Amino acid sequence: MLELTELQHDALVEIFNMGVGNAASAMSSIVNEEVTMSVPTITFQSRAEAASILGNKESRRICGISQHYQGAFNTDAILMFPEEKSLEIVRLMVGDSVSMEELTEMEQEAMSEIGNIILNACVGILANIFNHELEGSLPSYLVGSSSEILGAEEKNSQDTVLMLHIDFALESHQIHGYVAFLLDMTAMQDLQQHIDQYLSGLT
Amino acid sequence: MSAPPKNTVLIVDDSRVSRMMSRQFILNKFPDWDIVEALTGEDAIEKMDSISPVLVLMDVNMPGMGGIAAAEILRQRFPSLKISLQTANIQDATRNKAAAIGVGFIEKPINQVRIHKLLEELEAT
Repeated sequence: MLELTELQHDALVEIFNMGVGNAASAMSSIVNEEVTMSVPTITFQSRAEAASILGNKESRRICGISQHYQGAFNTDAILMFPEEKSLEIVRLMVGDSVSMEELTEMEQEAMSEIGNIILNACVGILANIFNHELEGSLPSYLVGSSSEILGAEEKNSQDTVLMLHIDFALESHQIHGYVAFLLDMTAMQDLQQHIDQYLSGLT
Repeated sequence: MSAPPKNTVLIVDDSRVSRMMSRQFILNKFPDWDIVEALTGEDAIEKMDSISPVLVLMDVNMPGMGGIAAAEILRQRFPSLKISLQTANIQDATRNKAAAIGVGFIEKPINQVRIHKLLEELEAT
């Protein structure tokens, strides 16, 4: 298993912190209110274990918007909200002028666009820091359990992945959500290399 | 005497909600402008056969050829057309591509301030 030195770990958290800050700013601009985000936590475990940890925090059905990025390193980035809050988030985005019927009709598509904006706000900062492009897929939208959203039922679900996990909240609406980045072993090594390059540029 | 032709803006975005918001912010400032929507780069290029917009707002990450390739084609065909990428992809690489092909760049999320700033720049030219 890949191990990060204390300095690499610090750098990784710091770099993702900058990405998270930008994502919070993008989210805040969408919903017109303050969004607080936690410091990213980094854990190594299987997708199944990651799903179980998330499942303990969030037992409701989850609406997930995921994008696969490749380039500097490959990663699955996933934005998650409790499904029951999804319409409320879209309402905050589009305002009161849209009818409930129209809102429901556009929910999935609007959530995909929100995911696209927030995930790119975070990933864009990482790409700029690493000075290496990260090319993203179109967002895909899924509703299900934490296992389904994190792909814990797929054939490679027991392989170790690095999970960067961030909690965020829109306090006045009591909406809590999660962002996760999943990297397999090869991607972790690529990421580690970029962190080393970043650190060497600091000294 | 006939009325002067209305200004037209072409919004290119696969996201309906993004198109809807851009449309709303433009019409807030210029209620009599025409808005034409395209869902892909290919669709935008085809629509340009029948319209002469004052501005094209182009998303980047779309199915098909994508916004950068479409903007590049439009730039070659219409050298003086005002084109701006309107994208969540805030990477320097994307900004550099926009500069290289001679098109503008505004960040998503779309909001009134960003759209109006762009329209004011357009008015000033």
